[in-house]
Amino acid sequence: MRNKGRHLVLLLSVLAAVFAFTACSLAPPAVHSDEHSASVETEISAESRPVEASVPSVSDDSLRSAVDFQHELDSYEPLKDHYSFYFTYKTVHSWWDAVALGMEDAQRQYLEKGITITYEYMAPEGVSAEDQIQRLRMAQKKGYDVIGVDVADEKILSPVLDEMVDSGTKVMTFSSSDASAGCRRIAYVGNTHNYQDGADLTEALCEKLGYKGKVAILVGSAGAPCHEDRARGARDTIAKYGDMEIVATEYDMDSVDLAYDLTVQILKDCPELDGIVCCNMSNPVGAARAVVETGSGAVIVGMDHDEEALRYLSDGVIYCLGVQDCYSIGFDTIQTAVKIADGNLAGELFPEKKNEITTIIFQKDAALMRELLYGEI
Amino acid sequence: MDTKFRTAKKAVVLTAVIGTLLLIAMEIANTLWVSKQIGIATDEAVSAVSSFYLEAMADRRAKSITNLIDDSFDEMEQAVSFIAGENIASQEELRNTLGVVKSLLGFNRFALVDEDNIVYTQYTTYTGRSRHDFLSEPEIKNRLISTVYLYGSSKQLCLVIPTPDLSIMGKRFKACFIQFDIDDIVNLLAFEDQGRTYYALYSNSGTNLSATELGPVISDHNLFEALKGIVSEDVREESCENFTNEAMGSLSFISGSAHETLCYVPIQGTGWEMAVLIRESVIQDQIHDISERYLVTGRNMILFTLVSALALCVVLMLQIRRLSNAELDAEKETSRTFRNMANTDSMTGVRNKHAYSENEAAVNRQIQAGELQKLAVVVCDINGLKLVNDLQGHAAGDQLIKDACALICDCFTHGAVYRVGGDEFVVLLQGKGYDTMHGVIDELNRKVEENIKNNAVVVSIGYSVLNREDQQLRDIFERADQMMYERKKQLKAMGALTSRL
Repeated sequence: MRNKGRHLVLLLSVLAAVFAFTACSLAPPAVHSDEHSASVETEISAESRPVEASVPSVSDDSLRSAVDFQHELDSYEPLKDHYSFYFTYKTVHSWWDAVALGMEDAQRQYLEKGITITYEYMAPEGVSAEDQIQRLRMAQKKGYDVIGVDVADEKILSPVLDEMVDSGTKVMTFSSSDASAGCRRIAYVGNTHNYQDGADLTEALCEKLGYKGKVAILVGSAGAPCHEDRARGARDTIAKYGDMEIVATEYDMDSVDLAYDLTVQILKDCPELDGIVCCNMSNPVGAARAVVETGSGAVIVGMDHDEEALRYLSDGVIYCLGVQDCYSIGFDTIQTAVKIADGNLAGELFPEKKNEITTIIFQKDAALMRELLYGEI
Repeated sequence: MDTKFRTAKKAVVLTAVIGTLLLIAMEIANTLWVSKQIGIATDEAVSAVSSFYLEAMADRRAKSITNLIDDSFDEMEQAVSFIAGENIASQEELRNTLGVVKSLLGFNRFALVDEDNIVYTQYTTYTGRSRHDFLSEPEIKNRLISTVYLYGSSKQLCLVIPTPDLSIMGKRFKACFIQFDIDDIVNLLAFEDQGRTYYALYSNSGTNLSATELGPVISDHNLFEALKGIVSEDVREESCENFTNEAMGSLSFISGSAHETLCYVPIQGTGWEMAVLIRESVIQDQIHDISERYLVTGRNMILFTLVSALALCVVLMLQIRRLSNAELDAEKETSRTFRNMANTDSMTGVRNKHAYSENEAAVNRQIQAGELQKLAVVVCDINGLKLVNDLQGHAAGDQLIKDACALICDCFTHGAVYRVGGDEFVVLLQGKGYDTMHGVIDELNRKVEENIKNNAVVVSIGYSVLNREDQQLRDIFERADQMMYERKKQLKAMGALTSRL
C-alpha cells in the first residue's frame, strides 16, 4: 500500500513536470514598451536682429502668389510643330536663371503637346549694350522665329530693335527692361512697374527711418531701364521728404562684389548713413555684407530673391525686398514668343505689355519665401 | 489494522494533493520568471537588432545611390565617346545627338559645356556660369558630384565629368553633366515602407533633400534643428560633426511612448547622408502581438494544467478508493479462507478441533456471563475405526469417518458438528437443535442399531445439557463423554464392532 502511494506521487510529479515544461516552453516573452514620455519640441533659432512686433508683413496668400510656379499653357494652338528662338539678357546672373526655369517649364509643356521649341538664352559676363547689339545682329542672321531681348540700355538698343523689326525680324523684349517708349518691338513680358517698385521700397525705408535721415542709392547697370527706373522712383520718393537726404548714388554693374565695395566706401565716407536703397538683385547682398561687417545700422531695402539676401532679410539685416515673379516671366515669354512667331501681334492673344507682379516682403515673410523659392538649403 | 490502512490512505491522498499544488505553484512561478527573463532578453535583442537592422538598411540604400551614381558616370563617359565619334557639323546636329543620348540613357538633363561656359542641351543653349556652380571653376579636372537647389525649391543631383578631348564644330568642350531630380531617386528607391520605417536623404547641413518624412517628430525638417531638445546637445553636435565628416552614426531618443532609433550612413562623394529611422515600438509591437498570442496560449496551458491536475486528482482519489475497497475485500476473503482452513476438518468438511477450541472459549465466557440458557453437548465416537484401519487400510478407515460424519450431520441438522479427534465428534446444540435434541438422538441411535445389523457405520453417542453448576463447556462435555462410553458398551453388547476383535 505504501509503495502504491509513492508510485502515485511519482506519477503526479512527472505529469506536473511535463505540464510545467510545456507551459514554460510556451511562455510568452514579456515585451516592455518604454513608457517614458518626453515632450518633443522643435526650436527655431532666432539670430541677429529679433523680429519686432511692429514690423510689417504680407499675408501668406500674397507670399505664395508672389512667385507662381504652377503654370499651364493657354488654349492657343500653335501653327507649327517646331519653333526656334533666341533670347539675350543683360548679364550672366542668377536672376535670369530663375527666368530660364520658367522658360524650360513652358518648353516642356509644348513638347508634351508635340511642339518642339529650341532656343538660345545668352548673355555677356558684364552688362554691355554693344555686346547685346552684336548678339542681336548675329541672331538676326540665323533666322530665328523670334528674337527676345532684355534691354541693357534702352537708348542704345531701341533703335537697333526698330531696325530689326523693320527688316522683318520678329522682336520682343522680356524680363526686366523694355525698350524705350515708341520702339516697334512687338511685345514686352516682364516688370512694367520698376519706377513704382523703387518708389515703394523707398517709401518703406522712409517710414522706417521716420522720414528723416541720410540715404545712399545703389543702382545696377548704368542705362539698364529697370535699374534706372527704380533709382528714379527712389529719388523722387526721397525728394518728397525734407529731412531725407541722398548722400550717394553708385552703380554696381550687377556685381555683388562691387556692391559690397561701394557700400563699404559709402559707409566710410558717411558713417552715419541711415539707409540704402538697392535697385537690383546684387545690390542688397553686397550692401548687407558690408553693413554686417562694419556694424553699421543702415537700413537696407532692395530688390529680388537672392537666397543670401533672403537670409539677411530673415536675420533683420535687410528691411524689405521686392520679389519679382521671374518664373512667370520666363513661362509667359515663351508663350508670347510662340504667338509672335505665328505672325500674331499684340491684341487679343497677348498684350503689348505683359505685366508681372512684384511683392514687397519683410522679415516675418523671409522664412516662408525662402522655403517657397529654395526649399530648405 | 483498519486504522493503519486509513492513515496510509490519507497520507497518500494528502501527498498527492500537496505535491500537485506545489508543482502547479512551481510551474506558475517558473513560467512568470522565464517570461520576465525573456522580456529582458527581448528588450536587449530589440535594441541590438534595431541598430543592426537600421544600419544594414541605410547602407543598402546608400549603396543603391552610389551604384546609380557610378553607373551614371560610366554612361556619361560612354555618351561622350559616342558624341566624339559623331561627325557633328551644326548646332542642330549637336542637339539631335544630345537628344538621342538623353533618350537612350534616360537622363533628365544631359548637357555639354564649352570652354566659354555655354551649356548645350537637346532643346536649349544658354550661358550657364551663374546657373551651375561647377562652372565657377576655370577648369574641371575630375568628376564632380553636387547638389543643386533650384529656384522653385526642387533639388537635383548633378554629376559632372571633364571632357578634355572633346571638340565639336571647332569648339573645345570642357565638361559633360547630367542632373537628376532627387525626387526621382527617392521614387526609384521606393522609400515608402508601409509607414514602419522612415527614410530620408540629408545634406551635410541636415537639410532634408528627399522631402520624405523621417518619422512624425523629425518629419521633413532640418535634422539638426529637429533634434534640438530631443537629444542632448552633445549627441546633436556629434551628429553634426559626423555629417560634416561624412561619417556614419546613430542615435536614439524618446518620442511620446516610442523609443526611436535613427541611423545614418554617408553616400560617398555626394555630401549626403542616408538616414533611416525606426520606432522600436514597431518591432516591439510586432513582438508584443506574437507575445500576446503566446500569453493567451500560456494562460490556457496553465488553466488546462490546473483543470487536468484537478481531474487527475479526482480520478486518482476514486481509483484509490476503488483499489482500497477491492483490496480490503480481497484481504477479507483471504482472511476468511485462512480462517476456514484453520477451523475446518479437511476430510469431513466439518469444524475441527481448533474451531471447537476457539468456540469453547467463547462459550465458556457466555456460560460464565450467564448468557446461555440452552446448550447441549453431544459426544460421538466411531466404533471399530482402529480395527478397520488395521484390517482394511486407512482408506477404508477414512471412509468410515466420512460415513460417520455424514450420519451425524444428517441427524443434527440444527447443530454445530466438530471433529475433535480421530474417531470423535462433538455436536453443540442450541436453539432449535437443543429443543429437538431428544428426537434426533433417538433417531440416530435407532439408525446405529440398524447399522449394526447391516454392518454399517456405528457411532456411540452420549449427551448432556448445561446445568446451573456448570462453569465451562468442559463440564458438560465430560458428562456427555461418560454417557457415550456407557452407550458404547451397550452397542458392543448388541454386536457392534470395537477396536478389538
